[in-house]
Amino acid sequence: MMHALRNAGSAKLARRLAALSAAVAVLALAGCDDNGGDPRRQIGANPVLPQLQQYLMPPIRIAKAIGWGSETPTVPQGLQVHALATGFEHPRSLYVLPNGDVLVVESNGPKAPIYRPKDIITGWVQWFAGAKAKDANRITLLRDTNGDGVPELRTIFLDHLNSPFGVALVGHDLYVANTDAIVRYPYEDGQTSITAPGTKLTDLPGGPIDHHWTKTLLASPDGSKLYVGVGSNSNIGENGIGAEYERAAIWEVDRASGAHRIFANGVRNPTGLQWEPETNKLWAIANERDEIGPDLVPDYLTSVRDGGFYGWPYSYYGQHLDPRIMPQRPDLVASAIAPDYALSSHVAPLGLAIYTGTELPANYRGGAFVGEHGSWDRTPLNGYKVVFVPFSGGKPSGPAQDVVTGFLDANNHARGRPVGLAVDRAGALLIADDVGNTVWRVSSAHPGSSPKPGT
Amino acid sequence: MKHATIAEAAFITDANLRSTAKPRRRPIHKMPASFSVAYFAGALVTDLVYWQMPDVMWERFSIWLITVGLIMAGLATIAYVIDLLGGRQIDRPAWPRAVGYALAVLLSLFNAFVHSRDGYTAVVPTGLTLSGLVIAVLILTAGVASALANRRAGA
Repeated sequence: MMHALRNAGSAKLARRLAALSAAVAVLALAGCDDNGGDPRRQIGANPVLPQLQQYLMPPIRIAKAIGWGSETPTVPQGLQVHALATGFEHPRSLYVLPNGDVLVVESNGPKAPIYRPKDIITGWVQWFAGAKAKDANRITLLRDTNGDGVPELRTIFLDHLNSPFGVALVGHDLYVANTDAIVRYPYEDGQTSITAPGTKLTDLPGGPIDHHWTKTLLASPDGSKLYVGVGSNSNIGENGIGAEYERAAIWEVDRASGAHRIFANGVRNPTGLQWEPETNKLWAIANERDEIGPDLVPDYLTSVRDGGFYGWPYSYYGQHLDPRIMPQRPDLVASAIAPDYALSSHVAPLGLAIYTGTELPANYRGGAFVGEHGSWDRTPLNGYKVVFVPFSGGKPSGPAQDVVTGFLDANNHARGRPVGLAVDRAGALLIADDVGNTVWRVSSAHPGSSPKPGT
Repeated sequence: MKHATIAEAAFITDANLRSTAKPRRRPIHKMPASFSVAYFAGALVTDLVYWQMPDVMWERFSIWLITVGLIMAGLATIAYVIDLLGGRQIDRPAWPRAVGYALAVLLSLFNAFVHSRDGYTAVVPTGLTLSGLVIAVLILTAGVASALANRRAGA
């Protein structure tokens, strides 16, 4: 009897403890503030930077991938959008050949190793967000001979690649940046598929971790050099500083020898390399670090200075120290350059097109379109659209404007997510959508009357 | 040992097989609980090493040790419930041990989240402090429990 009473007492106590533990845990998790401020305060040359916060449990706010159905993205008046082609497997980047053929790079990252229990959770989250699609590892060619925005020909241009992203053509040499190497292929004008084996120009930092796997590629105007965006191997150095060797950097590769030097570094994940036509300066977009708040750190668009250091991992936006890296490097932090133009936090810019065409209204000329893949750790969601940053005198000259939206539905589900951008031969804007598995084409609503005066 | 068995058997016969006099079976929650304590102690050691020498390897050791410690704690909880339901022998006094252990496990759960941060602040200072606190709570619990048990035995 006594035993039974005691046992009942213990069981009750155990239940109470369990309830208490659950309550405390819920409180602690609910206590995490993941509501971000107005993104507009973080757009432009002088973003408002709040105090950094560290989480007990970092917020995960991803948009469930649902696809487009019969919907299409939304564009402002004066523009129209339609699908150039659909049915791709995770299209990430685009490249337009001189004859107008469009190359669609269908690619996904290599399998991430599991170093910590967290990596298992991350895998589930990515699957939920539709980011775990099979890696097609190929480039598809679209040919629209009559320029009506409907390709007549679709072929597999290059197959059996290794997580490709960047493409650059110099003369008859076509360079593809796989995640672990730049490979050169012979290309003849009008060719619709390449079967010749490639020749490796140089290795690039690849596995086994390969956290930021996309390697952006851009040829110098004279064709002698290739610039490569090589992202960091971690969020903030949690895989060890050794894993970051020659990463978080923009490489300059000599096209003749394959030798490289670090053109700029401290850029966490540089993509979208472009030449600004007025000043001939190199510009890039970058994904900044996570897990220190919904409004830290703003992703950015910046000119890239030769030899410049942009802070990662030691600091952000100049000299704002990140306590998560040890040992620290005050010597490097002192030299850290603040980027030119903040795009606001966690928008994940992955495509850049500085517009030099004439098809779109004149107000877009000389400015930059930025494809924002969208946030996964912030409320409300940020990004999931293509914005336009006006330029004047070779520099951003005003707030970013939404151009292509509707990637999220009213329930914050993702119909698609914009990634790489390109401008086709006619001057229309092309958008790779790696969740909608579509390439969208944005052109003027009245092609006959373009160019139209700016609004 | 043999002696004791014989004595017990004799006692059962004499007591006419009354249920309360049955030799109580050994508890099964002790083994997983001991394992979890060992894992948490290991995490404190690897945290201390990381604090002195911030190589990510030690931080990874810590988070896996804490995670497996928590899994063991989960198993220990299930086993404890089985022990209670099955009327198995529980060390007296039960509640200081249960409260102390539950507190240590709860702190370790928080610690697992802290250790899942990226970089140095996954350990220093909060993670390391929590790892130390867990071990302090467990030592204190053992001390209090044995003091209470001794007092009871003496009374």
